[in-house]
Amino acid sequence: MTTIRVSNLHFSYQEDFEVLKEINVEFDHRSTAIIGQNGAGKTTFVKLLKGLLLPTQGDIWIKDYNTKENTVAFLAQHIGLVFQNPNDQIFKSNVLDEVSFGPCNIGFDQKTATEKAKDALQMVGLLDKQNLNPYDLTLSERKLVSIASIVAMDTDILIFDEPTIAQDFVGREKVKQIIKDLIRKGKLVITIIHDMDFVAETFDRAIVFYNGNILLDGDTREVFSHKEELKKAYLEPPHVTQLANRLGIDKVFLNDEELTNYLKNIELKPQA
Amino acid sequence: MRSLSLYQQGDSILHKLDPLTKILYIVVALALPSITASVKVSIACIISGLLLITFAKVLKNMVPIVSFSTIVILTIFIIQGMFYYANENVLFTLGPMTFYREGMLYALKIGLRIYNIITSVSLLVLTTRPSDLIEALVRKGLSPKIGYVLSSILQIIPQMTSMMNTITDAQRARGMETEGSLLVRMKAFIPLLGPMVMSSLVGTRERAMALEVRAFSSSRKKTFLNKPMESAQSTIWRVVLLIILIGAVIWRVTS
Amino acid sequence: MKHLIVENLKYCYPLAKDLALKGVSFEVDKGEFIGVIGSNGSGKSTLCQALVGLVPNFYKGAYGGKVIACGMEVAKSEVAEIATKVGLVFQNPFTQITGSKLTVYEEIAFGLENIGIERSEMKCRIEHALDLLGISKFKDKNPFDLSGGQMQRLAIAGIIAMEPDVIVLDEPTSQLDPQGSEEVFQAVQNLSQEGMTVIMVEHKIEKIAAYADKVLLLSDGELVDFNTPKKIFSRSDLDEYGVSPPVYTKIAKNLHITDKLGLYPVTIEEFSQYSGQGREKL
Repeated sequence: MTTIRVSNLHFSYQEDFEVLKEINVEFDHRSTAIIGQNGAGKTTFVKLLKGLLLPTQGDIWIKDYNTKENTVAFLAQHIGLVFQNPNDQIFKSNVLDEVSFGPCNIGFDQKTATEKAKDALQMVGLLDKQNLNPYDLTLSERKLVSIASIVAMDTDILIFDEPTIAQDFVGREKVKQIIKDLIRKGKLVITIIHDMDFVAETFDRAIVFYNGNILLDGDTREVFSHKEELKKAYLEPPHVTQLANRLGIDKVFLNDEELTNYLKNIELKPQA
Repeated sequence: MRSLSLYQQGDSILHKLDPLTKILYIVVALALPSITASVKVSIACIISGLLLITFAKVLKNMVPIVSFSTIVILTIFIIQGMFYYANENVLFTLGPMTFYREGMLYALKIGLRIYNIITSVSLLVLTTRPSDLIEALVRKGLSPKIGYVLSSILQIIPQMTSMMNTITDAQRARGMETEGSLLVRMKAFIPLLGPMVMSSLVGTRERAMALEVRAFSSSRKKTFLNKPMESAQSTIWRVVLLIILIGAVIWRVTS
Repeated sequence: MKHLIVENLKYCYPLAKDLALKGVSFEVDKGEFIGVIGSNGSGKSTLCQALVGLVPNFYKGAYGGKVIACGMEVAKSEVAEIATKVGLVFQNPFTQITGSKLTVYEEIAFGLENIGIERSEMKCRIEHALDLLGISKFKDKNPFDLSGGQMQRLAIAGIIAMEPDVIVLDEPTSQLDPQGSEEVFQAVQNLSQEGMTVIMVEHKIEKIAAYADKVLLLSDGELVDFNTPKKIFSRSDLDEYGVSPPVYTKIAKNLHITDKLGLYPVTIEEFSQYSGQGREKL
C-alpha cells in the first residue's frame, strides 16, 4: 500500500540553487528514518510532504491528494509533523488545551478532541500533568507535549523532526516507545534523526539524503552495510556494528542483543 | 545574510572617512541654511550633498528614499499652498483650487529642508557600516551597553523574522488557517504571538548569560579590534567644515 | 595543582522549592578532561553555571558552600573577572552569537575587547583560536550564515581566545549532526592536549567514555560518583540514575568480559583487547 508518492521532485528557495533535485520515492507502511548531514535537504523534504512548501517541479501525493491542489489545513487531516523546537508552537496556558488545539482545527468536535488529546497524553505519559502550564514543565516534557499535540490529531502519517534532541537516556527511550506504539497502531512514521543507534533500534527502513538527493534507500540493515556511501554522506553505522567490524565480523547488527547473542556462539575467550 | 542596514559596500574616500566627520558634515549642512536664512544656501547644501553621494557611487540607492519623500513634499505644497495662514497673493488656480504665493514659498522652504536632511543623512548611512558608526560613538564615550543594543538590533530583527516563519509553519502544521478573511487572521494572532514572545524571552536570557561569560560587564578599560578610522584626511575635512560654519556665523552676526 | 575546588556546594533557584544542588564536593587537577553525566534535571547545567559564577551572581537565589576556580572564590567575584579564568560554552550555538559583530573574526574579538586586550595580542589570539577550531576559512563570513556545527565551534573559539585555564561545555553537541559533534569533540580534545582543563556535560556516552579522564555522575542534585570511566560504567546501578553505559560495556557485561581487576571495557579498543578478539588476530 502506497501512502506517499513523490515523483520527479525538484525544489529551490532561490532561483540559482536547487536544495532538492530529481527525487522519486514512495512510502508504504514501513517506518522510515531519514538521515544525512545538516543541509542535505531533509527538513525541506518533510516540509514539502506536509505541504508547507510546494515543489518547484514535480508532484507529491499524500494518499490521493496532490499537495499542490490542497491546502495545508486540509492535508493536516492526513499528515502530521512534529517540529524540532517545542517552544515554536506552545501558546495555551494548560497542557490539555495545547494538545486539543490541533484536533479542534481539523474538524473534531470539542468532546472528541478532548478525548483524543487525553489518549495522546496517556501515550506520552503526561496525563497527570494535563492541567499544568506547559512552561512549568521541563524542556524534555515540553517536547513530549508537542509530540502529543500532533499524535492527538490522529493522522495516518506522522513525521518527526529530530525528536531526540536535548533528551536524556530516559527521554530517548520514551520517544522510542512512542514511535513503536504508533507503528503498532498502523501509522506510517517518518523521522529525521542524527542518532544512528536510534535508527537501527527503531526503524524498518532508512533513506540517506546527500546533497539534495537520495544516496541510499532500503531496509535499515541493508543501508548500514554500505560503508563507503555512508562515509561519503558523513555518517557512521551504529556503534554495535562498529564494534562487530572491529572484532572482524563483517555483518550489520542493529542492537546490542543481536551482537551479544552472536558473540555468545563464537567462543570469545576473556583474558584471565 | 539580511541585515537592517542601508549600507552599500564601496571603497570611495567617503567610505573610508571616519563616521564622526560625516556626522559633523550633517550638523554643518543642517545648520548653514538656518544661520544664513537663505534659500540659495539651502540649495547649495543639497547640491554639495548630491555631488558627494554621486562621488561615492551610491546615488542610485537614494532613489527610493527620495521618491518617498517627494510624495510627502508634494502634499505639503498642496496643503500649505492652499491653506497657509498668511496666504494673500494668488499665484495660480487649478480648477476649484487656488494656490497662494506665501504658502508656496513656505512649502518650498520646508521641502528644501527635508531634502537637505535626506541628502546629508544618506551620505552617512549609505557609506558607513553601522557597526563602525556605533564603535566610533563608543570610543567617544557612548555606553558600550547602549552600543551593543543598537548594533545587535540590526541583526537580531531579521533573525526574528525567520523565527516567525518557523512558528507560522508549526501552527499551520496543526491545521491552523493563517490566510483568508480578517477574522481568520485575527484568530491566528495569539497562536503566533505566544510562542514568539516566549521564544524571544528564552533566547534573550540565554544570550544575556552568553554575553556575561564573555566579560560584557567587565569594569576593565575596553579595547578595540579595529583601529580608529580617523586619519589626516579627517582632520582636513573637519577643519574645513568648521571654518565654513564659523564663517557663516560671523557673516550672519556682522551683516 | 587544583584548578577547581568545589566544597559542599548547595544552591536553590529563586522561587524553587527544592535544592538544585545538594552539597556537591569534588576537585579537579590542571589539564584533566572531566565528563559530567546524569539525567535531565540532575543539576548538570546548574553545576556548569556555578563554576563560572552565573550561579549565584546572575540568578541570585540561596547559595551555600564554595567554588574556588584557579584560586578565585566565584561567589565573591564578578562574572566578568571569572570569565578570564573559567570559560563556559552553552548548548545552543545560535544564542551565543552576540549579534553585534559582522564577521567571525570580529565575533571572536568581542570578549577580548571587553577585557582590554591590546590589538596586536588580540590578533594573535584570534588567529590561534580560529586555527585550533578549524574555522579559519570562515573568518570573513557573517556568524549567522554558519551551520550549527560551525557556529558552535565559533562559540568555543570566542571563549578560548580569552585564554581561560578551565573550559566548561554544557551539552555542546546536542543540536549538531554526527559530523558536527565529531568536529566539536576533536576541537575539545585539542584544547585538552594543550593543557586546558575541560569539564564537559554530554549525553553521547560512547564519546565521553572515549575522551574523558574521569566521569562525574550526578543524580537529583547530588554527586553519586566521581571516578574513571571504567569504574563508573562498570557500576551495576546506573539504571537507577537514569543513565546507560556505552553499548560496548553493555555487551561486555552480558558476556562477562572484564580486565584483570574485574572492570568492564568502555571503548571499542578496550573491548577488542579484553576479549582477545582484535581484527588483527582473525
